[in-house]
Amino acid sequence: MTLVMENVSKVYKDGPKEFKAVDQASLEVKPGEFIAIIGPSGSGKSTMLSIAGALLAPTSGKVLLDGENVAELSAKKITRQRLEKIGFVFQAANLIPYLKVKDQLQVINVIAKNKGQSRSSELLKHFGLDHRTTNYPSELSGGERQRVAIARALINDPKLILADEPTASLDSKRGREVVEMLADEIKNREKAGIMVTHDERVLDVCDRVVEIRDGKLENNDELSDDSSDIAYKPSEKAY
Amino acid sequence: MFLAIRELIYAKFRYVLISLIMVLIALLIFIISGLAQGLSADNASAIQNLQADYVVIDSDAELDMTKSSIPTDVKHEATEIDGVDDVAPLSIRMMNASVNGTEQSKDIAFFVTEADGMLIPSVNEGETVKRDHDIIVDASLKREGVKIGDTLEFGEDSAYTVTGFTDNQRYSHTPVVYADGGESRKVNVIALKADEANIDKIKHELDGAYDVVTTEKALQGIPSYSQEQASLNLMIIFMFVIAAFVLAAFFYVITLQKRDQFGVLKALGAKTSYLMKNAVGQVVLITFLCTAIAGGLTMATAALLPEDMPFLLTAGEMLQTSILILIVSIVGSLISLFQIVKVDPIEAIEGAGK
Repeated sequence: MTLVMENVSKVYKDGPKEFKAVDQASLEVKPGEFIAIIGPSGSGKSTMLSIAGALLAPTSGKVLLDGENVAELSAKKITRQRLEKIGFVFQAANLIPYLKVKDQLQVINVIAKNKGQSRSSELLKHFGLDHRTTNYPSELSGGERQRVAIARALINDPKLILADEPTASLDSKRGREVVEMLADEIKNREKAGIMVTHDERVLDVCDRVVEIRDGKLENNDELSDDSSDIAYKPSEKAY
Repeated sequence: MFLAIRELIYAKFRYVLISLIMVLIALLIFIISGLAQGLSADNASAIQNLQADYVVIDSDAELDMTKSSIPTDVKHEATEIDGVDDVAPLSIRMMNASVNGTEQSKDIAFFVTEADGMLIPSVNEGETVKRDHDIIVDASLKREGVKIGDTLEFGEDSAYTVTGFTDNQRYSHTPVVYADGGESRKVNVIALKADEANIDKIKHELDGAYDVVTTEKALQGIPSYSQEQASLNLMIIFMFVIAAFVLAAFFYVITLQKRDQFGVLKALGAKTSYLMKNAVGQVVLITFLCTAIAGGLTMATAALLPEDMPFLLTAGEMLQTSILILIVSIVGSLISLFQIVKVDPIEAIEGAGK
């Protein structure tokens, strides 16, 4: 199990009132499994993703990342975990504006003190970005930017990939392409993946869909049964 | 520095603008420092370079050597005191001299001491004072046409012959002339060579009737010296403060603008210390380049200044000032570092947290 979340709650205090952003949520993600978390805005799905990504400490409950209890780690170690074990794909790509495409990936190597070129040129080729390596983000299309963001998330070969609304800034065709690319990586390279989205058109690409309502998780079996018939088959191309 | 350098290249225009301001500020600091040093030398180099450690001065003179009066006997007394290595009398008169009996007249500071005493500076051209009515003069008089062998007349019947030139001997913005004074009953001050350890004893031996001050302290008594230096130093201090604030404000705004990026980088696993290093790296790099450019421009300016302009800036002083500018800039950037620390990586995920 790459990620185990057990009875995780996140409570915010607003004066005397308490607000439960996440309420007793449990979730497990296996290697090679791609889960979608859906829900209306304000339902707690971003909070859920932040806790999974060790960006936010839960008020109660346990988070095991690759077998390690995140709550027991120092802040420094948590940063290290994010660097080595988690790949983030943010909404609107969130690329660094002053870095060229190749440096968007290289910066992760620099932070991680990895020597050498690693896989950045392979990855960029794989995502069809090899002719864009010396362009700045402002010179790319929305789809290209999101592809760079996925490549950046993969550069350190993380075990867990977390995507926050990866299709938000894209039209449906490009959005689907991007999610399919994510799914390919997760299946072909045995990674665990969680995507927060409210784009229902891409849910068939995921293995499992979990719905969150007022902080409570509900396994949406109906949807996942449905999708099993048209279960997404990963493409065979590996890099 | 991976991020720092790439950002400087990407956002050239804004960094060129701030660099331009920094170059101008550093240039102004260098030039005012040079002027302060130059004026200081023009006003007091004869005392700064006086070959003595202490001067015995009249307590009532308020450190103004020209107003002090000390009986020559004190010189003999001082010679006897243990711990005094050497003694020489010194009298200073501000005078007007005519060159070779012509109408041409020069303001000079007339330093009267003993021809074989320690105060006579070494000459770099001609010969030192040997007889009565021999004088050695500051090289700045050479620029005004005075040659070895020329006669300087002070009033009716006192003519002196220039036998040599010496360097860096100016007092109260006029060139200094050294002459032998023979025996006189009173002098302005007595100069002493003595070790600092013995100075209290020496003061005591002189009955406390006179002040014994370091030559450095005696500078304060030169008319207008302190005021001149204080106003220029105030300007320099202000320039440092302005430099700090300009940089602080610029980097503060830039850092606020980059908040989102810091959030993303932190979420991706960048340590705060790494981001801080890049931020400080940028400040150091910009300040270093700007002071280097300003240093070059200062030297070019100094070369263009007329020779009699009081401007003096050594490489060592420039380096010291540069280091100070660098420290001030780093202090100015601290407020931005605080911003970087405050950014929470969760800001990278929209709608999360509160």
